[in-house]
Amino acid sequence: MIQKLVNILLVEDDEVDVMNVKRAFTKNNIKNELFVAGNGVEALDMLRSSIIPLPRIIILDINMPKMNGIEFLKIIREDENLKNISVFVMTTSNEDSDKINAYNLNVAGYILKPLSFEKFINSVATLKNFWSLCEM
Amino acid sequence: MVAANILIVDNCKIFIENTVNAFSQIGIKSTLCFAENDSKAWSMLHGKNKLLPLPKIMLIDINAEGINGIDLINKIRFDFELKSILIFVVSNIDDVEKKCDALNLNIAGYMHKPSEKGEIVAFFSILNDYWNSIEFSR
Repeated sequence: MIQKLVNILLVEDDEVDVMNVKRAFTKNNIKNELFVAGNGVEALDMLRSSIIPLPRIIILDINMPKMNGIEFLKIIREDENLKNISVFVMTTSNEDSDKINAYNLNVAGYILKPLSFEKFINSVATLKNFWSLCEM
Repeated sequence: MVAANILIVDNCKIFIENTVNAFSQIGIKSTLCFAENDSKAWSMLHGKNKLLPLPKIMLIDINAEGINGIDLINKIRFDFELKSILIFVVSNIDDVEKKCDALNLNIAGYMHKPSEKGEIVAFFSILNDYWNSIEFSR
């Protein structure tokens, strides 16, 4: 489906993971503009101060300093301007409590970070195909 | 993916038939359930005749005649047992207001409804890959 490329915000504290997402985007020819915040507090600042254009998609880590992913999700779901953003969790946390909390806050998907970069590229390819079906 | 029920809310016989065929062609193991309108869907989710296990995935044609999709999603989102269901919305009508309402209710995706057989197989193939790539709670 041909549509305007939406902006994506990655909320991730680990610099290696940020680099991996950027590389996986390049490998999969994903041309959407990608903004990065290092934790929930920084992401909220970016979203509320209009430092960046409002993203339609957020890729969210769970375990982060200052404000974790679940706390961040709770806040944006209660914010009239931010609540409709599609959120995809991408984390190493395999805890059932994190999955339950994330789905109760209506994330569009909970993805476990694959250990190898090859698998990571495939995960991002699957996401890209899914996004291509969606009207944002 | 967990072998759970998938509930499709739609009343187009051809789409339902093509969906059943696509699921079997792709080899999707989940049990497919259908409801022809929002009140039938609600009775499959709630009360003494509800589906067990409850579906983790739903697909709703939001603009089909006789289906009040927004009302259904709204009820699901306010129900403690149901609010975590992943809801995918399909439509072949461009209705900006309903799309906005659906996105505000945090659906997992708003998608153009495929109509040709081949298109439907390709559509569910992508969705199935996506469902297989994400984690569900136990």
